[in-house]
Amino acid sequence: MSNRKIKALMSKIGLDGHDRGIRVVVSFLRDAGVEVVYIGRFQTPGSIVNTALQEDVDVIGISSLTGEYTALLPELMDNLKKNKIGDIPVVVGGIIPPKDIEFLRRLGVSEVFPAGSPVRKIVEHMISAGGEYQSKNAAYGPRGLPDFLPPLFQG
Amino acid sequence: MANKTDNVEEGFLAKPARLKTWSNIEVEESYAPEDIRDQDYENNIGAPGRFPYTRGIFSKMYRGKLWTQRQQMGWGLPENANEQFKILIGQGATGLAWYRDLPTTLGLDPDHPLAHGSVGRVGVSFCCLEDMEKAMDGLPLDKISMALINASTTNVAILAAYVAAAEKRGFDLADLRGTLTNDPVFSYFCHSAEVNPLDFALKVVGDVIEYCSNNMPLWSTMYVSCFYNLRESGELTAPQEVAWGFAVAMEFIRAALSRGTDIDSFAPRASAFCQAGIDIFEEAAKFRAMRRMWAKMMRDKFKAKDSRSLQLKIAAQSTGSQLVGAQPLNNVIRVAYQLLGAVLGGAQSITCDTYLEPFCVPTPESSRLALGTHQILAHETSIPAVADPLGGSYYVEKLTDIIQAEAEKILDQIEEMGGFVAAIKNGFIQKELDRGVVDFQKEIENGERVVVGINKFAYPDEEDVIPGGLSEIPQDEIEIEAIKRVKSLRRNRNNNLVVNALNNLKEKAGKGENLLPAAIEAVKASATLEEIMNTTRAALGYSRDPFNMRDEVPPFK
Repeated sequence: MSNRKIKALMSKIGLDGHDRGIRVVVSFLRDAGVEVVYIGRFQTPGSIVNTALQEDVDVIGISSLTGEYTALLPELMDNLKKNKIGDIPVVVGGIIPPKDIEFLRRLGVSEVFPAGSPVRKIVEHMISAGGEYQSKNAAYGPRGLPDFLPPLFQG
Repeated sequence: MANKTDNVEEGFLAKPARLKTWSNIEVEESYAPEDIRDQDYENNIGAPGRFPYTRGIFSKMYRGKLWTQRQQMGWGLPENANEQFKILIGQGATGLAWYRDLPTTLGLDPDHPLAHGSVGRVGVSFCCLEDMEKAMDGLPLDKISMALINASTTNVAILAAYVAAAEKRGFDLADLRGTLTNDPVFSYFCHSAEVNPLDFALKVVGDVIEYCSNNMPLWSTMYVSCFYNLRESGELTAPQEVAWGFAVAMEFIRAALSRGTDIDSFAPRASAFCQAGIDIFEEAAKFRAMRRMWAKMMRDKFKAKDSRSLQLKIAAQSTGSQLVGAQPLNNVIRVAYQLLGAVLGGAQSITCDTYLEPFCVPTPESSRLALGTHQILAHETSIPAVADPLGGSYYVEKLTDIIQAEAEKILDQIEEMGGFVAAIKNGFIQKELDRGVVDFQKEIENGERVVVGINKFAYPDEEDVIPGGLSEIPQDEIEIEAIKRVKSLRRNRNNNLVVNALNNLKEKAGKGENLLPAAIEAVKASATLEEIMNTTRAALGYSRDPFNMRDEVPPFK
């Protein structure tokens, strides 16, 4: 079982510029010992998936405050599947009215945190979901390749 | 199992959660004459309408004219927006704040790759003259105060389109009243640095001030949005809001002055767009401190001669981040307190958010209630009858001094770094913004700061009712239609005319001339928003597309 830190990819999606919430979550995640790759604004489903692959992350956090998740999350989930990382947990936070929480869950999103959710809870969930994903993929990397390096060298 | 009635004694004996202001300024049990004994009324406070305008920029204040009840609406296609504006005017709004969707705000046509999912969602989608005409159809542009909210650099195209549409309807530009977001620092942080490179943005600031000084005297061109928006972005304190806003304003003033523009030609129409927060007395004191600081800065630092240059016009909006998603009706009360603070503080224009702010754009029902908030205060109470009713309060006069002193300290610190732009470049601003939001969240999570419905007095989700429902925006249909329209426009217009107009714009931009006249011509030739922005950017040495996703807008591939 890999002992490396949980690695989280945090990203905005689409043109939404509100980044105050995601910056808070990034800070709390880092305080909790999570390695965070924060790619900021103006990301597309494509760019998010590319970064997730390149950085070999365990969990993805998306912030959406102006509703574009309705168009872009389905694309993101699709893209993840196409790239064989469809079971990476995706967590969505932001301005999400109650009926959309159901919509996102049905897409396969791991958890939804509407604005006002305690950040502590978001961090706990991401660590637990990311840890689960990491251990499931410990023997085989996310793309199905065996992980040859002995634990000592995994950093 | 605890008996529910056990809580009663605890509630009965409860003490207030906060013994500090929202900005963490400690407050005493009570205040008395000796707390303000050293204050100099004649020279340092002044009567309403008298230097240094602490008590208000007009002697009659709201007796002369009520604050502008500026409400916001606008989503979807231009004709949807037109309908919504007419609803607002019908409800009694005296000002409109017109929000564009994100693609439009950032200067992108609806078919730009990054626009997907955003078209028409949080504002109106617009990209050409025809769109602007549809949106403004039938509106009395000379009677209603219009606020155009968008990224600073896109003012080139948006203001051009507004002017072109108004001219076509036969309005005299000199009769148009309104304002636009002419604040590149705000845009840099809150919209995108890619769309608002600071130098480009500062040039547009200068061009807009110059153009409007010459053609649209009733337009407020120096509209510093940073007070509200940076505070929102960083959960800043009231003194920080004041200091940072002033620091940004000083950058603009210096930019305009360095072009040889006379201070008194634009300062009279300068306005500060600020937060209207829930901590009533702190907010009122904040506005009073701002007016006094502005008057002295204009007179002593920038040598303004016109007394109107010394009178800071204040526009305020309900602080959105103070509104909560749980138990949304509570937001009606929060907004009422926010409005009260701004009115007691003497603001000239105020926007009340709807209780749906944490969820979606305003619905007609929630908008009506927001307007009612204004109307009740304005007409059922006698509050507007007296200028600066808090003047003379030992507490508020003391708090005004405290906020000013703290703000001046911060402002000096920023000036020592070389000004606000320098403070951005050396990382100070981003660090403070990050620190502010993290500290604030920690205060909430450890219970130090109470938010009703979130960390205290919370109810289970099932008991939460959202009265009136949410905005139902058929965004996917809107996007499809908007894309169809822009593609059809590009096919059917006279592309030779467009090419000529864009070449003209490119030439004028390259020569460093004012961008507005050539942009207006390009709009009239049916160039789109993105085409105008791309041409301008390229002429000034930037990438055509701020996001480097498409080099040429079709059909110019």
